[in-house]
Amino acid sequence: MLSLSAISKRFGSVSAVVDVSLTCAAGQVHGLLGENGAGKSTLMNILFGLVTPDAGSIALAGKSVRVFSPHQAQRLGIAMVHQHFALVPILSVVDNIILALDDKLGFADRAKWSQRLRQRAASLHWDINPQAVVGTLAIGQQQRVEILKALLGLDQASNMGAVAKILILDEPTAVLTEQEVDELLPAIRRLASDGVAVLYISHKLDEVARVCDVVTVLRRGRVVHHGTANTPPAQLAALMIGAAIEKPQRTASPAPDSAMSPVIIKNLCLCATNGRVELDDINLNIRAGEIVAIAGVEGNGQSALVEVLLGQRVPTSGSVHGVGSPTQLGYIPDDRHRDALVLSLSLRDNLVLKQYRSLPFSWHGWLSLRQWTVAAKRLISAYDVRALNVFVPVVTLSGGNQQKAVIARELSSQPSIIIAVNPTRGLDIAAATSVLKRLIAARDAGAAVLLIHHDLDEIMSITDRLLVMHEGQLTDTNWPASNRAQISQLMLGHVAGAAT
Amino acid sequence: MINESLFIIVVAQAVTAAVPLVLAGVGELTAQRAGILNVGIEGLLLTGCIGGFVAATISGNGMIGVGVAMLAAMALASLFAWATVMMRADQMVTGMAINLLAVGGSGTAWMLAQAHGYAHMPVEAGFTRGIVPWISPETQQWLSSWPIIGPIIFDQYGLTIVVGLFTLAVWWLLRRTRAGIIIQAIGENPDSCAMVGIHVRQWRCGLIMVAGACAGLAGAYLSLMRTHGFSPLMSGGMGFIILALVIFARWQVGGLIAVCLGFGLVDATQSLLQGSGMNQVVPYQLFQALPFIVAFSALLIFRRGQHGPATLGQVWPSTIK
Repeated sequence: MLSLSAISKRFGSVSAVVDVSLTCAAGQVHGLLGENGAGKSTLMNILFGLVTPDAGSIALAGKSVRVFSPHQAQRLGIAMVHQHFALVPILSVVDNIILALDDKLGFADRAKWSQRLRQRAASLHWDINPQAVVGTLAIGQQQRVEILKALLGLDQASNMGAVAKILILDEPTAVLTEQEVDELLPAIRRLASDGVAVLYISHKLDEVARVCDVVTVLRRGRVVHHGTANTPPAQLAALMIGAAIEKPQRTASPAPDSAMSPVIIKNLCLCATNGRVELDDINLNIRAGEIVAIAGVEGNGQSALVEVLLGQRVPTSGSVHGVGSPTQLGYIPDDRHRDALVLSLSLRDNLVLKQYRSLPFSWHGWLSLRQWTVAAKRLISAYDVRALNVFVPVVTLSGGNQQKAVIARELSSQPSIIIAVNPTRGLDIAAATSVLKRLIAARDAGAAVLLIHHDLDEIMSITDRLLVMHEGQLTDTNWPASNRAQISQLMLGHVAGAAT
Repeated sequence: MINESLFIIVVAQAVTAAVPLVLAGVGELTAQRAGILNVGIEGLLLTGCIGGFVAATISGNGMIGVGVAMLAAMALASLFAWATVMMRADQMVTGMAINLLAVGGSGTAWMLAQAHGYAHMPVEAGFTRGIVPWISPETQQWLSSWPIIGPIIFDQYGLTIVVGLFTLAVWWLLRRTRAGIIIQAIGENPDSCAMVGIHVRQWRCGLIMVAGACAGLAGAYLSLMRTHGFSPLMSGGMGFIILALVIFARWQVGGLIAVCLGFGLVDATQSLLQGSGMNQVVPYQLFQALPFIVAFSALLIFRRGQHGPATLGQVWPSTIK
């Protein structure tokens, strides 16, 4: 149905896509695998008319086409669901559909479009309320709206004579909970059996194995593998990165200094203004030279604990010692856009943000900008932050590179205390591995590390102690004497299953 | 002391005062829903005042005055549209520049008009009360004599009914048409609008021009209807009041009518109080300040709650590709 041949695209001196050819058949889910920056998104943006290719051609059902705008792509029968949704949050579901698909300016026939929306949703066994305001819906629901919008667009195009029905899903599970993923994947299969060609972009190997028929692996803009989806995941991972990944090896911490506990939390309690108990009698010492990890289902008090440690919230009772001066603390927050980066400032300015008032970055109030540049260049090469140069606004960097920039700034000053919340979120395998290795290195250098993380595998690969947080209470799992099943039980609040 | 007829007089005066607020306000509100914050509305009003006055005085025809007032304000609004939408200039700064330009321009035009003997408007060029100019005086009198709605609706300048119908149309447009959906979507998420083939810049320019025409007409109302003349800076901060009222109305057309009438009521009450002899004790400036004090306090009290359109006042597109 769709064939791309010899597509190439350069941005400045960077080759984003080099000589890529691939075909996609109706009724097939085609996985497009690759690390961040491998060229997956660029390739799809070319297909969707957002980016013009330098060379190569696109053919739909054997006929060569040129796609120069997303609007035209839609009329050709190509629809795309972006990672960041293109919905208008203040409008209702049906109004969002009318906005994108109706072509008249006059009376908005909400009844007619609601009917079509419900019908399309029913074909996927979904239930949707067309009158609901999009901003009030959960992320998974919003994604359903996006997918339905794309499908209705495809229906409309085929009514007007388009031959293709191609749906591009750009990392559709990146923002979903596990349960939402479990609901989404069967729906994608159902779409394929209806004759839609689905292009599924991801860097998650297990999902690709679950939902795709064929996979194409991209690395540095080139196709390095094409085959069926039952290629072993380890082989796919190696293809994506170009070498077998060296997993971080858990090494026992050299000798946590019992006499030195940079962080001492005693009988800490925190109640919300509505009386709800957020933190319930927390006791925790983090010693110099050890990693203490807190696992748990999100929303069980982890963020409240971090806020108290940082002094953003005052505890109801109990005490926290240690986290005093910000220069001694390395903090990798969950939300880098809100809490770590000034998006409109340059990469350089963000990298020296914590130190700019001290020597050699400033001298009695005079800023030594040359020193900033020197330090920033050193940091981006040491931490593999990929950017055109250090003067570009940090907002132009990809999410993975933004995260690496945060980590570079927070860990390079050799802090004695490190608080890391989901530090590998949004990073590909290679980058995530390097972050975990950095945390181990910091520990070996004598830092006290608190790791709050959603990924149990990654936690278990590096941590020295593992605690579980559930409904504001902290339980020690006696890790590594406990196993995965016991830890999962604790995360769900089954105290009986605790390690003995 | 306070009787029914006095109450009706106050309400009728409130409507008279609210008409230009609603008219210019509904234009500004619609533009703001699409993300355009035009603080130059004060300047557009003033341009309408002087444009209408000069054209009506020279031609001796009020309708020509109204047309010129709208065209003059639209010309100034097109400058704002060009700078902010096409050249990506800051909306706040450009709006302030528009205000200053209008002060200087209207002052110059006023001095030139005086120098050439056009300082006074011919009587026939000004509008008198009455719903439409061609209705017979008997019918007009009969309509105005209706109880309650006679003085409140029919014994007003003809523009009142036009403004009422226009506002109703805008309300319907925003709620029930795809154009209304587009306007709101452009203010919230212009990027995704562009993605589905909506011409964001054309829409924004168009809405700025419509808002300009509304402000120009409201200016003509001040110089050709409520008064038959011009005085420097005669818009007297009304544009800024409108900006506050739009926020106060939470960007809703219905709310805008309510707050404009409320503002008109306080205004009418203060002129009543001024005339009641209390100005012997209290300086009249205090009365004149009353509506502004009430509006300001209301803004402080009801400041919380709904936010405006997400991209209000922002440059689009945010980065040039």
